[in-house]
Amino acid sequence: MGLLLAVAFAVPWWACYLTLGLLVLPLAALGRLFGPLTRTLWKLVLPFAVPILLIQGFFWGEGEVLFTLGPLSFYRLGLIFAAASIGRIAMLGGCFLLLSMTTRIDMLMRALVERGLPNQALYLVVTTLQLVPRFEAQAHRIQDAQRARGLETEGSIARRARALVPLIGPLLLASLMDVEERALALEARGFSRRGPRTSLVTLRDTPLQRWLRLALWLLAATLILYRLVSWITR
Amino acid sequence: MIELDGVTFTYAGEATPALQQLDLRIGAGELWAVLGPTGAGKSTLCSLLAGFIPHFYRGSLRGKVRVAGIDVPGSSLGEMSEHVGSVFQNPFNQVTGARYTVREEIGFGLENLGVPRPAMLERIERSLALTGLSELAERSPYALSGGQQQRLAIASILALRPKLMILDEPTSQLDPAGTGQVFTLLRDLVSAGETTVVVAEQRLEWVARAADRCLVLQSGTKAAEGTPSDVLSSPEAEGWGLCQSRFSRAARAAVAQGVTPLGRQLPHTLDQAVEYFR
Repeated sequence: MGLLLAVAFAVPWWACYLTLGLLVLPLAALGRLFGPLTRTLWKLVLPFAVPILLIQGFFWGEGEVLFTLGPLSFYRLGLIFAAASIGRIAMLGGCFLLLSMTTRIDMLMRALVERGLPNQALYLVVTTLQLVPRFEAQAHRIQDAQRARGLETEGSIARRARALVPLIGPLLLASLMDVEERALALEARGFSRRGPRTSLVTLRDTPLQRWLRLALWLLAATLILYRLVSWITR
Repeated sequence: MIELDGVTFTYAGEATPALQQLDLRIGAGELWAVLGPTGAGKSTLCSLLAGFIPHFYRGSLRGKVRVAGIDVPGSSLGEMSEHVGSVFQNPFNQVTGARYTVREEIGFGLENLGVPRPAMLERIERSLALTGLSELAERSPYALSGGQQQRLAIASILALRPKLMILDEPTSQLDPAGTGQVFTLLRDLVSAGETTVVVAEQRLEWVARAADRCLVLQSGTKAAEGTPSDVLSSPEAEGWGLCQSRFSRAARAAVAQGVTPLGRQLPHTLDQAVEYFR
């Protein structure tokens, strides 16, 4: 992710749109994920795009004015700068979504464990992601019980926010109580056992994938180096 | 398989021992039920046999505890997990959350024990078959019913090939159908010589149907030990906090009204009741 971030800022801003349009979206279409990916990406980028566009467009303060809105002027340079920032966010988001929609997180983590990440880290990441829906279901159960006893949990935003306060205590307590049994269940299955571990899942890593990875590493390193050199010699 | 001599355990911060001067011998290939009211020490005994006492729950432990040939206090949880498997009350909490299918969930413990992949595949298939989960192997563990999840918990432990399985009220959150599935499976496993089972349980009808021997605990001490018929038919059973089954209640009422003669063994299962009232 760090490397992706570095690359996103190392390449020219229009290259971000090219990457998104010529690489990420076609790959998503190939994986029959074009609709889900674009919908999620839209929801992800929009909250950033609107304020960036408004702030950069109206407050850039120099150069050609595209239009005026009362006392405010919208600048061309501001629009370009906003488009650059939005492009970088969209490319980062698109790459991340493509990865998360096409890769099972446990496989990804298994690959990282094979490269030296502790096994406990794998467990933490994968279970956290899987436990979110469960946590949500437990919260709903508690809220249902509270509603059955007369607590109003629906209505205005203020009322719904107030209803969250009595939810926190039982939710935390119930989760802590679960933790003990969960920890014992893990121990019963040798989680803390020392010694070598094996894996049921075998990761497919073809020579093509290995070459592609190497090529991407080299490309990323070249782009970052090029950017650094252009900054230094500017 | 299990040797307890003069075992007394007091949880850290507690004044009263949860187990007191407990002596017990359990042989291999038997299904034992641990009975008693809430607070009698059933869960503490299960934790002790699984090694969670003293390696997870702290406190003062006296006496000799040997399980599957291992001195429990001198061992570790990692070592114990290679010989003793535990199944708990809440089937949901036993799903690791780290695997995406039933098959992978069963493989989790085997991966931790470092079992080679070919052997792992064979053990998983066998566990799936023994627990009747073969057709659900590719489902998410979270998409199973409570009874199926409990069978998955048993399958996950079974794949580790433990010499001893400890189950702490495994049916407390299951419906009658789920309870039946679990007890039938346990009986089949023991009869097939797969493992030895110790199960803490409140459902006496199923205990009478499935168990070879019973241990009754009361306030952390041994109140009785014997076959299910002997223990459940004992006139002291209610005093030990054991609720009578509907069949034995009906039989007692029949005796009181002179419908059936005094002195006959009381029924505790449907089959026994049919025979009794015939």
